[in-house]
Amino acid sequence: MFFITYLRRELRRRMRQAVLVALGLAIGIGLVVTVSAASAGVKKAQADVLSSLYGVGTDVTVTGSPPKPPAPGSAPPKNARSIQVTPNGAEECQNGKCHSVAGTTQDNLGSTSYNPISESKVAAVARLKDVRAAAGGLVLTDNRITFPRHFGQPGSPLPTPTSFNVDGADTGNLSLGPLGAGTITAGRSLRASDAHANVAVVDSGYARAGKLKVGSAVTIAGTKFRVVGIVRQPQGGSPPDVYIPLDRAQALAAGPGSGSLKGKINTIYVTADSAADIPAVQKEIARLLPGDTVTTASSLASQVTGSLASAARLVDVLGRWLSVLVLIAAFAVASLLTMAAVSRRVAEFGTLKALGWSSRRIVAQVLGESVTVGAIGAALGVGLGFAGAAIIDALAPRLPAVISSPTGQNFRAIGPGGVRSLSPTATHTVAVPLSASVTAGAVVLGVVLAVIGGLLAGSLGGWRIARLRPADALTRVA
Amino acid sequence: MYTLSRVTKLYQNGRRTVPAVRDLSLVIADGEWLAVQGRTGHGKSTLLNLLGGLDRPTEGTVEFAGTDLAQLREARLTRVRAQSIGFIFQTFNLVPTLSAAENVESALIPLRLGAAERHRRVTAALESVGLADRARHLPGEMSGGQQQRVAIARALAKQPRVLLADEPTGNLDEDTRDDIIALLEKLWRERDLTMVLVTHDSAIARRAERIAVMSKGRLSIRQDTGRP
Repeated sequence: MFFITYLRRELRRRMRQAVLVALGLAIGIGLVVTVSAASAGVKKAQADVLSSLYGVGTDVTVTGSPPKPPAPGSAPPKNARSIQVTPNGAEECQNGKCHSVAGTTQDNLGSTSYNPISESKVAAVARLKDVRAAAGGLVLTDNRITFPRHFGQPGSPLPTPTSFNVDGADTGNLSLGPLGAGTITAGRSLRASDAHANVAVVDSGYARAGKLKVGSAVTIAGTKFRVVGIVRQPQGGSPPDVYIPLDRAQALAAGPGSGSLKGKINTIYVTADSAADIPAVQKEIARLLPGDTVTTASSLASQVTGSLASAARLVDVLGRWLSVLVLIAAFAVASLLTMAAVSRRVAEFGTLKALGWSSRRIVAQVLGESVTVGAIGAALGVGLGFAGAAIIDALAPRLPAVISSPTGQNFRAIGPGGVRSLSPTATHTVAVPLSASVTAGAVVLGVVLAVIGGLLAGSLGGWRIARLRPADALTRVA
Repeated sequence: MYTLSRVTKLYQNGRRTVPAVRDLSLVIADGEWLAVQGRTGHGKSTLLNLLGGLDRPTEGTVEFAGTDLAQLREARLTRVRAQSIGFIFQTFNLVPTLSAAENVESALIPLRLGAAERHRRVTAALESVGLADRARHLPGEMSGGQQQRVAIARALAKQPRVLLADEPTGNLDEDTRDDIIALLEKLWRERDLTMVLVTHDSAIARRAERIAVMSKGRLSIRQDTGRP
């Protein structure tokens, strides 16, 4: 076919130029594909972190509203327990009565980050339209501090509190919530029959750090729990350290202001009928529970900080803009080189016009040449994109993701230096391996962009040809 | 074949207006061979461009087979060139990446003939100029004379009514020049073409039936063609 023959010969004649344009487009397309793959990888990593926070299959979470901090100088709420450290030593006070805690270990399980929600609200949420299932839970922190016998005397340092996260899981509905996301690697998970038992499932990382195994004991709020299973959460997650039956957590824990948590939860995990229903479900729950916080996976993303979050921003902002800039440069180079080639072929095109070729036919020939170069650039670019993604996968840099949540507990030390505070914070820093996966959408986008680049370059050349007067073109031959 | 009436062509050169052709009237009969002579820059090529529809006059009419080329829209003018007018250029103007056969075929593409018909015409055209054995050669692999023969074959493959040749021997040596002119003359006679040939060479011009002389954009007819 004459069109193909002419096209092939012409590209062969200016092979160097065609290769340069194709390479330029390839680099731009490769960058787009690699950035898309890295973005997909970062999003997956973030999703892994978030899903371990709230469990796979959880589309919406409801948490109790954060409690209002007490006004300075105000009296503590009724039944509230507080520990004060004075020059006389450490004292625990409740309702105005205080006693020394020197030489004791204070082990409190509490939730001071969220106000409690009535457990009856779980059923109300489950009945909402577009809600497939709902389960309640308690997100708690166990804070332990051991005061030495001679604590409070001049020069004695403040003891260091330790804490770990405890999840009160609904044993009748374990598929929702953080425990549902994990894989049991030893022993067993919690069962419905465990509802009132002092049994626990321990996170694999926490078990390794504390040398715990099935049969070991963990102490929560001064009560011994037997470890019946070890669970491994998805890579990159920030799971609770210990899972106990919800009923036991409600019995042992105290809410903000040291209130009882019997019949209370502070988190509801909700699954929607479909992904498209999530926004509507979020709105319905917010209407049902106006004072509480209703979040979806996308709004939780802001909780994840650290290098993973930085990588997400880097890929999104810098990666995207870099791709755009490189593509613009590639398009510009392609256009300039095509215009230059058209200039060199003015006499040739003038001759073709003299022979009776219409401008449209000549433009089609030039467009065919530039789109062919664009297609070659696309193929090379997609290959480069796969290579870039493979390099990221091979290197698999592990990016720290930090998820911190204050426990809400506060110890005040009153002494000659003034008031000092101890506010234990439960933070999890997890290393998330970054991966990159090339999606079909990224490949299609790359090909489309390359073809657009070819069309753009050819169109500029074509515009030049369309304006060409044959007489002028032929004059340049001499 | 052609009737030119009071044709003027002006070009703008900055602020200056340059008259390339002034008030030119000319009739070219069917089957006539007209040679156009004149010094460089006096309007010979402009006249050829007007005859070929490659340019439009500023004033006047250029009638080709009863149709004023100046009034035709570009698409129609392109079709007239494709079907009826063959061009031969001083510098051959072959497409360097196409073989001799493909260059000849390029003139047939606008006619939308079938592949078989195109092949037949290409073969016949190359045979008529004695280059059937060079069909696959690229222009860079041929001599000047051979390239001009390919250009002639390209012009004739479409079976035009008119052949317009702008200094067809200008880039050739003397012997080759004679060969090319002899070939053109032979084809002119055999195919009953109307031929307008621009040349500096008086010897070549004298072989034509009539000689027109362009001087500062004005045309005059020489009476001493030496041809009855």
